[in-house]
Amino acid sequence: MATAMAPTVVERIVLEEEFRWLLHDEVHAVLRQLQDILKEASLRFTLPGSGMEGPAKQENFILGSCGTDQVKGVLTLQGDALSQAWLGAKPPLFLPLAQRLRVAKSRRASLCPANPTLTYQDVNLKMPRNNQLLHFAFREDKQWKLQQIQDARNHVSQAIYLLNNRDESYQFRTGAEVLKLMDAVMLQLTRARNRLTTPATLTLPEIAASGLTRMFAPALPSDLLVNVYINLNKLCLTVYQLHALQPNSTKNFRPAGGSVLHSPGAMFEWGSQRLEVSHVHKVESVIPWLNDALVFFTVSLQLCQQLKDKISVFSSYWSYRPF
Amino acid sequence: MRPSLQAVALWGKKAPSHSITAIMITDDQQTIVTGSQEGQLCLWSLSPELTISAKELLFGHSASVTCLARARDFSKQPYVVSADENGEMCVWNVTNGQCVERTTHPYRHTAICYYHCSFRMTGEGWLLCCGEYQDILIIDAKTLALVHTFTSSQSPDWINCMCVVHSMRIQEDSLLVVSVTGELKVWDLSSSINSIQEKQDVYEKESKFLDSLNCRTIRFCTYTERLLLVVFSKCWQIYDYCDFSLLRTEVSQSGQFFAGGEVLAAHRIIIWTEDGHSYIYQLLNRWAQMGAAYKTFSGLSKSIYPADGRVLKETIYSHLLCSTSVQENKSLPFVMGYMNERKEPFYKVLFSGEVSGRITLWHIPDVPVSKFDGSPREIPITTTWTLQDNFDKHHIMSQSIIDYFSGFKGGTGTVVVTSSEYVPSLDKLVCGCEDGDIFITQALSAAKAGLLEGGSLLKDSLPYKVLKGHHQSVISLLYPHGLSSKLDQSWLVSGDQDSCVIMWDIFTEEILHKFFLEAGPVTNLLMSPENFRLRSDQVVFCVCSDHSVALLHLEEKRFLFCARKHLFPVRMIKWHPVENFLIVGCADDSVYIWEIETGTLERHETGERARIILNCCDDSHFLKPESVLSVASETHKHKSVEQRPSSSFQFGPIPCPGLQVESSCKVVNAKSFSGPFNVLPVKTKWSNIGFHILLFDLENLVELLLMTTICDSDPSNSFNGSEIPRRAKSTVEKKTLTLKRNKTACGPLPAEAQAKPASETPAQGDNSITVSEETDGIKRQKKMKSSKKTHPKPSRKVDANLIIDAAKLLLSCLLPWGVDNELDNLCIKHLNILKLQGPVSLGLASNEDHFSLMLPGWDLCNAEMKKDYSKVNLFSNKVLDLSNKYTSALPNQAGMPRGLENNRDSLHESNTLVYLLRRLFLVNKLVNMPVELAHEMDSSFKMESVHNKMKSPGNDILHISSFYSHLRNGKNEPHIPEADISLLKLISCWRDQSVQVTEAIQAVLLAEVQQHLKTLRKTPVNSQPRSMTENENYQTMQTQSKMEWAEELELQCITDHLSLQTSASLVKHGSNSNSANFQDTEDMPDRCVVKESESPGEPRHRSWIAKMCFCKLC
Repeated sequence: MATAMAPTVVERIVLEEEFRWLLHDEVHAVLRQLQDILKEASLRFTLPGSGMEGPAKQENFILGSCGTDQVKGVLTLQGDALSQAWLGAKPPLFLPLAQRLRVAKSRRASLCPANPTLTYQDVNLKMPRNNQLLHFAFREDKQWKLQQIQDARNHVSQAIYLLNNRDESYQFRTGAEVLKLMDAVMLQLTRARNRLTTPATLTLPEIAASGLTRMFAPALPSDLLVNVYINLNKLCLTVYQLHALQPNSTKNFRPAGGSVLHSPGAMFEWGSQRLEVSHVHKVESVIPWLNDALVFFTVSLQLCQQLKDKISVFSSYWSYRPF
Repeated sequence: MRPSLQAVALWGKKAPSHSITAIMITDDQQTIVTGSQEGQLCLWSLSPELTISAKELLFGHSASVTCLARARDFSKQPYVVSADENGEMCVWNVTNGQCVERTTHPYRHTAICYYHCSFRMTGEGWLLCCGEYQDILIIDAKTLALVHTFTSSQSPDWINCMCVVHSMRIQEDSLLVVSVTGELKVWDLSSSINSIQEKQDVYEKESKFLDSLNCRTIRFCTYTERLLLVVFSKCWQIYDYCDFSLLRTEVSQSGQFFAGGEVLAAHRIIIWTEDGHSYIYQLLNRWAQMGAAYKTFSGLSKSIYPADGRVLKETIYSHLLCSTSVQENKSLPFVMGYMNERKEPFYKVLFSGEVSGRITLWHIPDVPVSKFDGSPREIPITTTWTLQDNFDKHHIMSQSIIDYFSGFKGGTGTVVVTSSEYVPSLDKLVCGCEDGDIFITQALSAAKAGLLEGGSLLKDSLPYKVLKGHHQSVISLLYPHGLSSKLDQSWLVSGDQDSCVIMWDIFTEEILHKFFLEAGPVTNLLMSPENFRLRSDQVVFCVCSDHSVALLHLEEKRFLFCARKHLFPVRMIKWHPVENFLIVGCADDSVYIWEIETGTLERHETGERARIILNCCDDSHFLKPESVLSVASETHKHKSVEQRPSSSFQFGPIPCPGLQVESSCKVVNAKSFSGPFNVLPVKTKWSNIGFHILLFDLENLVELLLMTTICDSDPSNSFNGSEIPRRAKSTVEKKTLTLKRNKTACGPLPAEAQAKPASETPAQGDNSITVSEETDGIKRQKKMKSSKKTHPKPSRKVDANLIIDAAKLLLSCLLPWGVDNELDNLCIKHLNILKLQGPVSLGLASNEDHFSLMLPGWDLCNAEMKKDYSKVNLFSNKVLDLSNKYTSALPNQAGMPRGLENNRDSLHESNTLVYLLRRLFLVNKLVNMPVELAHEMDSSFKMESVHNKMKSPGNDILHISSFYSHLRNGKNEPHIPEADISLLKLISCWRDQSVQVTEAIQAVLLAEVQQHLKTLRKTPVNSQPRSMTENENYQTMQTQSKMEWAEELELQCITDHLSLQTSASLVKHGSNSNSANFQDTEDMPDRCVVKESESPGEPRHRSWIAKMCFCKLC
């Protein structure tokens, strides 16, 4: 390249030949590869209508943190939805893990959710004050959509739709056309990935107002907030313990802004009360198929970029006309 | 781009690429609107004979446009809403290309549907939006604020498509949507308006799973009020609206994807595909064929007869009647639409837009029939058109700034410019070419050569330089001195396709150094900010297309290192000045941190952490290489160069303190000063085709015309003509007006004020300096203070020749040539300006980021103007009417520099220039006002803070009031204020009649020129003027303008003095007087609320003025 010489006529002919090959053969090969990868990824999301009939399979995840065992949760995921959950507290106080799972399973069997959702959640909590045990589960009639997974799934299917339109019979005429297609596909894939990698930053009143807090039986006490989200390949459950600030308290009241994970001491106003977060419990569990999906996204993004790079190599040679 | 900027586009031979992603035809069938992947909107005029011609290109979106929809009842207001991938929404007035309202939501819409229910809704109606989010968003059509949502109780998901059903039978509007998973949902619209306004949750009324994916369109048959057409990408289906039972499914052929459809008539539908084909089907109902008796029976029994899906399913089948197709060279995907107008002069039109930018129209016959043998008939294409066709047809208008270069090349085709850079300080345009040459030329002369008649003469004499050194096309240029004044003025850095970067001396034309980066084409050259220095020098960053970043040290002519690990294109470069880190943000949201001293990769981060790193470096300067590529950010870049803080502009003459601080920050950011004339190179995404925009800053031009002459003026000059003081007086009045807005440019003023004793000033001290004048003085003085704060350095001296030339070029571009041949000649003789070669493409800015540019051939869009080719550059026939009205309102002894006719012609010329420009500025501002005002009021509503609401319109009233008070000042010349007020009224009334700014400007210019040169027509022209040297010309002008300044100073002294004594009381007094004068205007918001509902067209804020106008003048 650094020879600083303009390509000769022969060189140009060869280049043109190569470019034609790129447009007619290589592009389609890459697109097919992309389609395969994305199909694989979409299978992970168990897209309805993607060949898998019937309700999506259910998976149980046990959420725990390695350090403190204040909170344990068992979440059941069906596609993009949490269908069951239970939250529990310190293990020594409870049944062994296996037994607890059995409980969860038996309950699940009695349900037949028509739609993939987070349906069952159990939360066990040991309050630090009095070692009191709290146990909450999802109401049986309720499901919770995990918006992040739904959005990611939809973005992937959009990308697949874009690629489906250009099968082998379609002839790309210009490089710019390929670049535009790749840009559109990459936009969808980046968004899909970003939905998983960046959980929504919520303010505490937003968490309090969300439907998730109303889904438990027995109902969550007013001094508890629960949030469930996806962070990368992990399903995360945070439980905030609150205490009310006295109206005459000397503490400076400053409402906390939006955050993925609020730290103890964050304050907010809910209803007429001023509340402060006293304890935060965060438990998480790796969802293996989300990990796969993320890897697929990354790989296909790189494939797209490489194809773009290949195309733009040629743009150096005839920039003056649509290449 | 600010509204006071006058822009002229030099398009060149190649049309900018416009990959259509959305298309619509307005309800009056006169305009086609298209949105593109590049982010621009294009307005095409559609003639009654169904011919297309591109009219205007609208800039504003920074990402691909996703959807278009009408935003008002079109017969009342011709507004269209557009949404893009970044979540920005804009409402455009499609008759004049102005952006009326804009906002950015964190939602990406893929479809928008306008809904208005006149008897249950106040306001302008709703925009129902769906897209990459759950359910339906409701957005206020006027303010673009989020109103509420329609939520679904069952399996909420993204919505693919929707339609509003107005059923006459049930007297209820419903919203039908289909989600991505294929679930059909129905919401009640009209009956839930109240609950929506009270922000209650509204859930769907019905839902049904349709068992098909990728729904593209859902349409209700208004003819039968029975059938529902749902188009999926692989099939289309007919449902019974009563119970949503499936009546018919037709599956697509292999490899074909349906894209949409529409109901043509009862039982007749049209379906179109992604590849541009369409099919018209007749839906046959078995009952219908069974004889009249059964038909009447079935018709009668419609309500009684059970709408049993099973029975009906067997009775409907489809028959292909007609089809349409496009030529072979198709490019996917097509976006199509169908326009079904039942009113007479309108056509049934099927339209499509391609990625290649081609629009195709088919005229669908009222009764489509198949051939006699029953096979489908092919409907021929009625019209097809692209932007490039416009450019080819009107090549005289699509002049490029560098066309004349081709002459040097020995006629072997035109030179393709692959990069360009304008150097304002030298007025040099640097163009890198496809063959590796770099041309350097005088920008203004080049523009003149391209635009004006007789420009070919200029072409030969045009000075230019050619730098030869690159072997491949030059794709990036950088003029370091423009970014940091400490660097050598002669340096120029250029990068080419071959990864070679050359540092030039532009004066001696020699190569200072050649860097071989071996890293792919150098797509961008960036300069490190002033606060970042490597061993006390700044560093140049070369962004290469192989995703690497090379660092060059210019002073040492040394290649530092090349950061090569990036897997994705570089999006952002930041510095950590303390630790000498280079932070590179890539397209995949990952971040690479390089140590600059050693050139080693320090860290690589992705995801959340990468974002945090990028955000925390916000205080250090950053550059986005991306921004140079897209047009919208070009203007953004330009905005910062222009030093004009947008906020102060919007909030009237006296910005509140908070804003002031903000704006001063902005000013500090913008180091380089751009003159009254600027060239903006623009490139669109995915193509190498670029064009140039010439920018004229009206107020700056007027300012500098006066200021430069003062700077150069010689105190020994004497002034002649007793008329001058008076004239000076009147100019001062207007001067203050321009000063109002011009904070930065008048920075050097106070300094000069002190330097020059006001000794020459004749004691003007009539006691007619009224209170209102004093208040102006105070305002002005405040202005001065703020400008001292913000811009302490005097601006760079701009060549006087350049300014006068720029002013003349602007006048040439604005004048309607060929209206009156005699007038043309007089203009050429006396104003010393040249005639245009062809009509120019003017720009119209609605705010900083949104503007429109006319396309070549705009002048033929108006049907009535087609016959008359003698007129060049006449915007519309309306201009002539307006101009006549203006002339009649113009008194004989108006503010024009009368009495100067007998003076030397050169003085006359320059004075006239100043006068005309000033008039134009005034008109521009007056006509532009309601948009700002409306904007302000809206924003104040949005803030819902009473304080702001009171304040911002108030500011504007002050603003207006200053006009009037200026006029009142001139009581020693009694006829002027009266006349001017009537003119002002006239112009304000134009604004209400939705006269476009350009039209108004041209009309006023024409009238003023006519008026002015009328006198010259009578007196024989002496042969002297052309021989007059420029020097003399200046001298006389200097005296003239010096007079004005002296006047100005004196005024200021007086007010200074006064304000020192009784500042507090005066201010109070001043504000009182203002409010007293303009109580009328203060009532305005209320009035406009009253008027709004009935009055179409432009915002009606000034209708009271219009009323006054109508009775008095019109």
